[in-house]
Parts: sequence; structure tokens; C-alpha cells
Amino acid sequence: MAALKVHPKVYWIWNHRGWCLNNVPSGPGTEDEGDPRGWEKDLWNKRVVCVLAWSYRRVVLASMPIPRPETSELAYTTRKIEANFSNFSAWHQRSKVLLSLWSKGELDPKNSREDEFDLVHDAMYTDPKDQSVWIYHPLARWFRSACFLPLSIQNSRDIQGDDKEILEREITIIQSLLDEEPDSKWCMESLVHYKSLLLRNHSLSANTSTLRRECIALLKQLREVDSGRKARYDEIELELAKS
Amino acid sequence: MSKELDTLLVPLHVSYIQNLGKNKDDLMYHLTAHLRMNAIYWGLTALCTMNHRDALDRDEMVEYVMSCWDEEAGGFGAHPDHDAHILSTLSAIQILLTQDAIDRLDIDRVVKFILSLQQPSGVFAGDSFGEIDTRFSYIAVNALSLLGRLGDLDADKTVGYIVQCRNFDGGFGSRVGAESHAAQVFVCCAALTILDKLDEIDTPTLSWWLAERQLPNGGLNGRPEKLEDVCYSFWVLASLSMLKKVHYINSDKLTSFILSAQDPEGGGIADRPGDMVDVFHTHFGVAGLSILGYPGLVDLDPVYCMPAALIEKMGLRKGWQALERRAG
Repeated sequence: MAALKVHPKVYWIWNHRGWCLNNVPSGPGTEDEGDPRGWEKDLWNKRVVCVLAWSYRRVVLASMPIPRPETSELAYTTRKIEANFSNFSAWHQRSKVLLSLWSKGELDPKNSREDEFDLVHDAMYTDPKDQSVWIYHPLARWFRSACFLPLSIQNSRDIQGDDKEILEREITIIQSLLDEEPDSKWCMESLVHYKSLLLRNHSLSANTSTLRRECIALLKQLREVDSGRKARYDEIELELAKS
Repeated sequence: MSKELDTLLVPLHVSYIQNLGKNKDDLMYHLTAHLRMNAIYWGLTALCTMNHRDALDRDEMVEYVMSCWDEEAGGFGAHPDHDAHILSTLSAIQILLTQDAIDRLDIDRVVKFILSLQQPSGVFAGDSFGEIDTRFSYIAVNALSLLGRLGDLDADKTVGYIVQCRNFDGGFGSRVGAESHAAQVFVCCAALTILDKLDEIDTPTLSWWLAERQLPNGGLNGRPEKLEDVCYSFWVLASLSMLKKVHYINSDKLTSFILSAQDPEGGGIADRPGDMVDVFHTHFGVAGLSILGYPGLVDLDPVYCMPAALIEKMGLRKGWQALERRAG
């Protein structure tokens, strides 16, 4: 424990602690292992963005004699995210807990997805420049990536059915944020992404020529505000022309 | 950036690497004993990429590698009398192949050692003490492939574990549940590439995530909202080259960033400008420049992180794409 406070980035110390946890009958340090929240006392609060600390947290959670309900882990990540939106590790942990809860049927995907959108919108509006939230935001992208979800969820109409409605709502919300933050690359990038999804998956009911034109205009702006990634935007435009 | 740092200082880096092994009285030499075998591999591969393969004595290097053989375990330690570990075993194999001395190796025993580290879940442990990580899965796949013994591996089980480490952002973590990190993305992409399972990767999402690793100063970071570091030049670029998307990175800015982290006096490359240099960052900086088509460098195979010509000769080349080599 002392070594970790000095060297929180050394894999092997975390590994050794994990080994102790699983092999030493009452150790290491019974002080806080029973409840990972005991960590908040010192080290955890200081190192809450350390990827190795989160990794160890999962080891602790998995090894608890009486498993802690995942809903309380979800609440924990909510607290961490609300305290600091720029905590990619907490967003990540959230994605894992949610997937697990959905696949076990312990949480209704439709309702909890709405909660996710609320949290994401709060974060977006609080710090539109922070990457963490924009990478987490494509829940629609995530719901649609069949490989990440168990079959039972993939086929659920709750997730696929109102896709278009969600895409359109997100486009509206991000557009109003872009109006406030006219140079926000993340807003533009996300708008292109969701509009392309509309084009690809709802081409019969969507106004395709307007959407395409809007995407092309946004890509042009993106090449200016984010010139380093110009090649990627060129490629997206080419794909758009093909669709 | 000062004027002298706008080119790769090849002769300085070569002499920096040559001098590394000479200061055995230096404290750092002993503090890094657990990484000695890896350090030799990094130094040798950087020299090969800079077209100075013979700058270190071949026979001395091969003898050193063989002196790290752990007869009991059937693998290599990082240093004589250290226990065998999968990390140093891969480095030993890579050095012996690069130095055309693979005939010194008891291939059957090494294969047995590596296979013994696979866990019921499909992931590999680093040694008999059991730390697990997708890094070790890649190392096992890489080593078995180099030894022509991939057929001995339970590939489905190996891939099965890696796929479970895939996250919503398209990236991969060190174990099931762990968050995406550029170095873990590299090891998982490379293992899947060697096993011809690139279709398990969500290419558009992952290449977007990788492209967003580049910061305004040109350097690359390993995760969102983190600092840049020269070594990510390799982890990110190598992954992108397997996905055929190296052009998503601004090559001029990244080249300048890597060059700015050179030490213009003693040679070597640091993690970022002004920091202490080391052989790890020197190797991965030069490797990144090679993928970016920097003039005068030799092609590096991003999947195996070894000279491309050697991998091609062994018939192991996969369908990666680097940027075209620029004329000097």
C-alpha cells in the first residue's frame, strides 16, 4: 500500500496487491478491502483517474465474498462523473456496468438509456471541449454495434425501434450546443456522425439531399478548425458521396 | 524547435545506443536489470531501422542472450539468473532472428514454455507467477508465429479472450473490463492481425479513436485527456497501419514532435522534449518515424516490430500499410 502511494503507475505493484487479495486469508490490510469505497479515504480520491487503480477496483469487486450489487457501482460512477466530467475511466466503468446490467435483465435498457443521455448532455454542456464525454456520447453508435451486446439485447425493439427518433433528438441537442459554441469541433464531428447514420439507415424517410449537404458543409468547417485530421474528413466525405 | 532538431540525428543516436552497455558501474544499469533483454532488443531494432545493424557486436550479443536462458523453465530471463518471463523470451527470439542465430534456440522447449502460460480463459500469463494481460497474449502469438509454431496454439481460445477485451470506443484493454489504452490497442490489433482475425475489429470507430490521440503539439497520447509521449507514436501508428489509416495522423506535426524530443548533445530520444532520454523511447521514436516514411530509414514491420525485410523473407508479412518513404 505504501509503495502504491509513491508509484501508482507500476503494474507489478498493483498485480502483487491483487495476488495478496486473492491468496492471503485476511489481507492485505483488512482496513478497506471489504468495500472498495473505503479507498476514497486517501489514495483513491487522489488517483481516481489512474487506469491501474480502476483496473484493481474491478479485481476487488470481482473477489468480494458477497458480491456488491452492480447498481451501486453504477451509482458510484455517477458520483465520480458528476464530480469531474473529465474522467474517462469512470465513463468506461459505466459502460461495462450498464452492459452487464442490461444483459442480466436487471435494468431496463430503454429507461436507463434516457438517464445516460441526460448525464451526457449535462457533461457536454458543462465542458464542451472535453473529449471523454464525446467519445462516450455515441451511445447510438454503441447500441448499434451488434458485437458488443448479447443477442437478447441486439434484437430488442427497444433499442432498434426508435433509433431514428433518438438520432434526430441528439442532432437537435448538439446543434443548439454548436450554436452556442460555433467552433466546437466535437459538436461538428458528432453531427456529421449522426447525420450520416440517418442517411445510411433511414434513407427512405429522411431528407437525404439536405442531410448530405449539411454534412458536406460541416466537413468543410471541420477541415478548417481541425486541420490536422483533414485526411479523415476527406475520407468521410468520399464515403458520403458513395452512399 | 531549435534549428538543430529538425532532422534525425542518426550518428548521435547510434553512439548513444553503443554506449548504453558500456557503463556497467552506472547505478541505472543495475536498476534496469529486469529490462536488460528488452533494452537490447530495443537498441538493436532501432539500429536496424537507422541502417546501422552492425554497430553492436553480434557475437557478444548472442552470447549474452544465451546466458539468460533459464534451463529449468525453458525460457529466457531478462538478465543471467533471472527467472524466465514471456517478455524477455520474445525479445530473445527477436534478437536471435535478427542476428541470424536462431539455430542456438531449443525451439521445442520455448514453445512448450509459452504454451504453458495460457490460462483456461484463453489469456496468457507473463510467467509462473500469473500476472495476466493481453500484452502477454500478443507476445505469445508473435513468438509462436516467428518460430513457425502458430499451429500449436489454440487460436480460437486466444482470440476469444482478446475479443472480450474490446470496448465501446472500439479499443481494447489489458484484461476483460479494462479501459482502452493505445498500447493495449496495439497488442490486440497485432495479435488479431497475425491470427488473420482483423474482422473482429470495429475499424471506423477504432481508427477515429486513434486519430483523436494526436494533440495540437503534434504528439500522441495513450488515452483521452492525457499527455503526449513519444512511445505512443509507435503504438498508435502501428495500429493505424494495420487498419490502413496512417494518413489520419498529421505526419509533419508528429515528425516534428518526435524530432523535438531528441537530445542534441548525448543522443537518444525522450518521452517528450526536455526530458531524460532512454533506449525505449529512442526505439519507439525511430520506429514511429519509419512508419511515417522518414527519409533514409529502413522499413519496420509494425506487426512484429522487427525489420520488414526479415519478416517478409520469413513469409510472415501481413497487409499493413505505412506511409511511402520520402526521398532525403
